[in-house]
Amino acid sequence: MPAGPSPVHTLKISISGVRGVVGESLTPQLVVGFAQAFGCYVEGGVVLVGRDTRQTGEMVRSAAIGGLLATGCYVIDLGIVPVPTILIAVKLLQADGAIAITASHNPAQWNALKFARSDGVFLNSYQATELLDVYHQGEFRLARTAEISEVEYDDEAVQRHLQLVLGHTDLEAIRSRRPKVVVDACNGAGAVMTPQLLEQLGCEVTAINGRPDGRFPHDPEPIPRNLRDLCRAVKETGADVGFAQDADADRLAVVSEKGKAIGEEFTLAFACDTVASRTPGRIVTNISTSRMLDEVAERHGCPLVRTKVGETNVVETMLREAAVIGGEGNGGVIYPRVHFCRDSMSGIALILEGLTRYGTVSAWARSFRPSGMFKTKMECPSARIQQALAAARRHYGDDELDLTEGVKVAWRDTGRWLHIRPSNTEPVIRVIAEDDTVTGARRLCEEAIRTLEAAIQA
Amino acid sequence: MESLKISITGVRGIVGETLDPRLLTNFAEAFGTLVGPAAVLLSRDTRPSGPMVTSCVAAGLLATGCRVIDLGVCPTPAMQWAVKSTDAEGGIAVTAGHNAMEWNALKFVRGDGLYLNASQGEELLNVLHQGEFRKATHREISPAVESDPNLPREHTQVLLRHTDTDAVRRARFKVAVDCCNGACSDFSPRFLQALGCEVVPINTDVGQPFPHEPAPGPKNLGQLRALVAAAKADVGFAHDADGDRLGVVTEDGSAPGDELTLCLAAEAVLRRGDPGPVVTNVSTTHAVDMIAAQHGRPVLRVRVGQSFVAEAALTNEAAVAGEGSGGVMFPRINCAHDSIATLAHILELMAHSAQPLSRIVAQLPDLHMAKLTIPCPPAKVSAAIESIRQEAEQGVFGGAVDLEDGVKVIDANSWVHVRASITEPIIRVISEAETQAAADDLAERFARRVRQAIL
Repeated sequence: MPAGPSPVHTLKISISGVRGVVGESLTPQLVVGFAQAFGCYVEGGVVLVGRDTRQTGEMVRSAAIGGLLATGCYVIDLGIVPVPTILIAVKLLQADGAIAITASHNPAQWNALKFARSDGVFLNSYQATELLDVYHQGEFRLARTAEISEVEYDDEAVQRHLQLVLGHTDLEAIRSRRPKVVVDACNGAGAVMTPQLLEQLGCEVTAINGRPDGRFPHDPEPIPRNLRDLCRAVKETGADVGFAQDADADRLAVVSEKGKAIGEEFTLAFACDTVASRTPGRIVTNISTSRMLDEVAERHGCPLVRTKVGETNVVETMLREAAVIGGEGNGGVIYPRVHFCRDSMSGIALILEGLTRYGTVSAWARSFRPSGMFKTKMECPSARIQQALAAARRHYGDDELDLTEGVKVAWRDTGRWLHIRPSNTEPVIRVIAEDDTVTGARRLCEEAIRTLEAAIQA
Repeated sequence: MESLKISITGVRGIVGETLDPRLLTNFAEAFGTLVGPAAVLLSRDTRPSGPMVTSCVAAGLLATGCRVIDLGVCPTPAMQWAVKSTDAEGGIAVTAGHNAMEWNALKFVRGDGLYLNASQGEELLNVLHQGEFRKATHREISPAVESDPNLPREHTQVLLRHTDTDAVRRARFKVAVDCCNGACSDFSPRFLQALGCEVVPINTDVGQPFPHEPAPGPKNLGQLRALVAAAKADVGFAHDADGDRLGVVTEDGSAPGDELTLCLAAEAVLRRGDPGPVVTNVSTTHAVDMIAAQHGRPVLRVRVGQSFVAEAALTNEAAVAGEGSGGVMFPRINCAHDSIATLAHILELMAHSAQPLSRIVAQLPDLHMAKLTIPCPPAKVSAAIESIRQEAEQGVFGGAVDLEDGVKVIDANSWVHVRASITEPIIRVISEAETQAAADDLAERFARRVRQAIL
């Protein structure tokens, strides 16, 4: 998460795309340049463009389309749509790639370009590095006049996505119970589609923050402190469940029938529980996701595979392992029958389906061993990161270590774990822990930070 | 020839070579910084690169906090009129006018609907080169590019109000029109139908490339001449790609030349009694002076270029103004070259005089022009012009000398004009006399002098 905007550090060009603050670093120049680089990367093929509801979306879209057209790409503009809708459309329309214009859960002053390849998956780190090389080389192929085409507009992408989700959900089970649902789309890209989905699932729907105008009523990250409106609305309407999406509708959080934000880690656990109960198979998640995933895997006799953090890492492992379900603990559910991407719509459908078996959200949550997670970060100069990690490895050397990414420590007897990893985008180290209570998890993090700080200052 | 021209009239280049997205967004950001934050209108002609250029320009304008109203494919004069008639502070026309298909350009319009003048154009370039553009915050940036299909239609309504529509409708003219698959493809035939004409249109498919070079001079009017003859039309009109210049073919299938357009328009306006002088440039036919004299009107001549003519027309409250290239403006409507307004006036003249167009043309002064271009290295242009000027002032060539733009030498029955092009490394020699042979001789005599001066 970027801290407050500072003129020097608001541009983040990384393997996950180009992110910046509009009015400071994310200029039309930069956007056309990256769009040209991507146009060259896909060799002037068919490229889809879609965006979330941010007010700056049109500016960024215009620049991106200008750059793509100039390299001879055929551009199909999907308009304001959820990110998963764009990725699904790439595959259905057999496009050569896509640019998603969204800063996802970041605040309103941010925007970003994210690049997807022809199978509807975001570029992996090797491909993203290739794209950056093309950008920095700066020699973009310029199409001749006769090769430049008009933009095609496609407003059917949402319907196609919707039908796909409905086709892989037990509709009868949900419709017969007619659940009462409140949804907070944060005035984001899910604002139009999500109520439609819920209605087709036979729900009684109350939508809050449902205008797709990009005026975020709260910070769009779907974590408990941003869900107060939703909790209140669930209580007031006596709803069975509340759902919150981020600005581009890839991540999802759940509020219980008691109006409590149960935490975004439950989203994936619930979705996996539903899928594994009807089609057992491999489950994939990252190493920083809750131990509830281990419980789900055990519950249904499924293997669980853990990967490095990052949507692309999880997706590529799922593809390789032919996983039935997967995702990340931040509320990102990846349901391959719909598509290999984080999709809050699939998440909603799967959770409503599972709810028909468990009765209430609270009861479902209680079916898991009590869990408390704590997530924090500390600043660390880039040059000191390795020595900090080495100190952590020494400190926890007697315990079971997982060195897939950073240092993960697991205490099997108590079920506690601690994960220390450097951020890909900022000079910070992230520290995450899980215990039976949040207090316990917090204590684990505090001990780790003391160790890291001592190493940095040494 | 270099394929990028950045000058005080805007930026012009070949798409696929020099006119690239970053240059375009830069220019748009510079313009948005200069006029904004404010509403800015966009229009484009039908070149395939138009959507690419428009996207880049919209992004640059939005980033500076401007509202963008995109009129889509639309004649440039309609956009200019809309800028003047709304609260917009400027406009950008995406069109390379009469240039070939692979070119495109940005032309910058200020709040009163005129193109930027030389010093405003210079200011724009200073902002561009300084490279410090206004960066709007995310709250100031418009969430959408707006569109307004009514504005171009309102322009058409205004043109109809300025035309004696009853007279034209009664005449029931048969009109052939060549829209060059350009921005007038939709507007012009509908306008002619509204004037009660039987319309025989060609090249009105905006999805197709230009069927010929878009400059409406006689050498590009072969198809239209054949059509006028075959259809037995009363007149043929040719539009360029963006609807500023007009070419005319008479009912006998001949194309008397692009200088004729202004002569016919002037005759129409002055005969009708619109007050004010005629404004044109120093290189345009003196037939204009003879027509104005018949109606007791003065002619003011300014430097070559639409912005000079437009500003003089505005200042002097001209009845009509224009250039020999076929671009004519009617200051009561707007000070912008407007081919649809021009054809309306010519049809009105035909209706009022109740004669075939060839007869009207025959009654106009019979003068002949010669136009030569001499390549000249940029470093030698001003010295060459200067040497011609000194000789002219010493009386070497006889006649009166006009130094408004380069050197013009005027005799009783002829004149010759030597000037530097502002867009290309060439010197132009233009002459006019009572016979073609005399005009050719005169132009060749001065061209020889220019070539000597360059050596």
